[in-house]
Amino acid sequence: MIFNIAWKNFSRQGIRAVLNVMVTALAMIAVVFNISLYNGFQAQTTRNMIRTDVAGGHYRVPGFDILSPTEWEDVTRKIPESLDDLPNAERASALVQQGQLFPNRRLYPVQLRGIDVHQTLLDLPLDGLKSYGERVEDIIPAVLGVKMAQKAHLKQGDTTVLKWRDRHGVVDARDLLVVDVVTMVNSRVDEGVLWLRLDHLQDMTQRQNEISWVAVKEFQGPVQGMEFQEVDELIADILNLIENDRKYAQVFWVILIFLAGIGVFNTQILNVFKRQKEIGTLMALGMTSAQVVGLFTLEGSMAALLSVFVALLLGTALFAWFQSVGLDISHLAESTIPVHENILLDIHSGEVVSTIVIIVSVMVLVSWLPVRKITRLDPTLALRGRAIT
Amino acid sequence: MIMEYKKLILRTGFLFLSLLFLLLNGQNVFAKELDPQKILEAVDDNLWSNTKHIEGRLMIDNGRKERVLTWENWMEGTDRAYTLYKSPAREKGTKMLKIQSKLWMYTPRTDRKLLIAGHLLRQSMMGSDLSYEDMTEDKKLSAAYKATFVAKEELQKTECCVLLLTAHDKTTTYQTRKVWVDVEKMIVFKQELYAKGGKLLKEIEYFDYRLLGKRLFPRKMIFRDLLKENTKTTYIFDAIEFDVDIPDKYFSQSILKR
Repeated sequence: MIFNIAWKNFSRQGIRAVLNVMVTALAMIAVVFNISLYNGFQAQTTRNMIRTDVAGGHYRVPGFDILSPTEWEDVTRKIPESLDDLPNAERASALVQQGQLFPNRRLYPVQLRGIDVHQTLLDLPLDGLKSYGERVEDIIPAVLGVKMAQKAHLKQGDTTVLKWRDRHGVVDARDLLVVDVVTMVNSRVDEGVLWLRLDHLQDMTQRQNEISWVAVKEFQGPVQGMEFQEVDELIADILNLIENDRKYAQVFWVILIFLAGIGVFNTQILNVFKRQKEIGTLMALGMTSAQVVGLFTLEGSMAALLSVFVALLLGTALFAWFQSVGLDISHLAESTIPVHENILLDIHSGEVVSTIVIIVSVMVLVSWLPVRKITRLDPTLALRGRAIT
Repeated sequence: MIMEYKKLILRTGFLFLSLLFLLLNGQNVFAKELDPQKILEAVDDNLWSNTKHIEGRLMIDNGRKERVLTWENWMEGTDRAYTLYKSPAREKGTKMLKIQSKLWMYTPRTDRKLLIAGHLLRQSMMGSDLSYEDMTEDKKLSAAYKATFVAKEELQKTECCVLLLTAHDKTTTYQTRKVWVDVEKMIVFKQELYAKGGKLLKEIEYFDYRLLGKRLFPRKMIFRDLLKENTKTTYIFDAIEFDVDIPDKYFSQSILKR
């Protein structure tokens, strides 16, 4: 019976009720959208990093740090047999060294990344290097990513000079031919990176059979002289970046929920003030003050319950449309975020349910808070509309 | 008559062959007469002294603008050197101390000294065409390289002997160099620095030699990184003193402060 009375009272609120439902529904949609967008961003970033760089983890030479280029030359070793014996689909060996490129006779520091061209573990468009022999000839073939090529003002077929040091620190330089300019989905393996054949870079730097790391499909157990770094460890900086961003986004979620709550809170205060005679009558008819509080709280909570249905309807339509277009992040092209394509939502049912539960709980709370004072009302004064002045 | 004619032909032929032989072997004769390694040692002896004090200017031209730095330098042998930059305001008070293969740099703006070692030595020095490594080079050419004679060429209106220098060990930064030496005065006019693969990387030219005591010393040196376009770094030596007394504190890290 209380539910029926509450529903009738709620529906009589007219436009105020509609607004409360809409604002709460939009808050739900916005929070779920935002959470799912971050999920999508993280998922795509991780996927791209796994596809093009980290695979299932790296066996690295201890001490190797991609952020310390001046130490790359000191941190190499011969590839362990147990890793070298893995099939091409399960391991990708890489040697990383420093170099200096001189496009148009301007100095451009680069990361020389030698990769085993026969590997199929990583999805790298380096077919242009396959036709060359194992020994480097007079000219060094290299592949560049589109961004790297743009920044260095180089295009397919261009030649320029590459300077580097061998393992003894001796300066060497030779002409370099850009055999291909390719699109990389991961800007971290594009910008500032010059892709060479592993055997060529080993030959150039006198590091026969040496590597900086071996990317593997899955953990192969401990390997002497190498340390294994898991995917999360290898992309920790990106995960931390996204995590920090999520923290800032939480402020936005709180503001949204607060705004939705304010609407319901305001409605409830108004209800108690305007409907004192009704409260007095209900009490005179025998309802306890707790029952009256329950009735008014239920009325207020109706907005939250209805908003769940509205949010599901509107949200499903909106999310379905969004998944067909995605979020264009081309403005981030200059950053080192390893995502090239549009971002799609990654909706987790657990997060949707918990968002709904939190918002509904907040709405129930803000519906109850203003009506608590009913318990302290004098029914006779309330009947005359003078309990609250 | 016929006999005399035959003799004449024989003599002329012999003379021609002798001339041809001399012409073809002229360079070898030149090379045999002047031991390239001895030339290099003489060049080193002329340039290097026990101690040296130099005041000069460093002009760094990156192709767009030129910066001029004035400096004062004290050197002891090949191992110890101290440089104080005196202008412009931005660089004033910057100090560099080199002891053997280590180089410390002090900048008054940060009031900190920085050890430039390992791979940092390969960075460009103050945006110039020289690396810190080039600066800290502490081996005499004659000690690091084996010299062989290549050719005779005229440079700066002087006939020079071109020597090809090949590094003794495989850790020397530049495995080959070419030097143009005036063997009369045992002075260098030009050096070319090559990559291991043979590509020409840098060029150093020496100008305006003048007699200072018993030594001939250039007044100007121009460094060029030939892989870059329109860049050059010029050293001008305004005042040079050889075999001067240098207080020990100049080669102590305690000097690296305001």
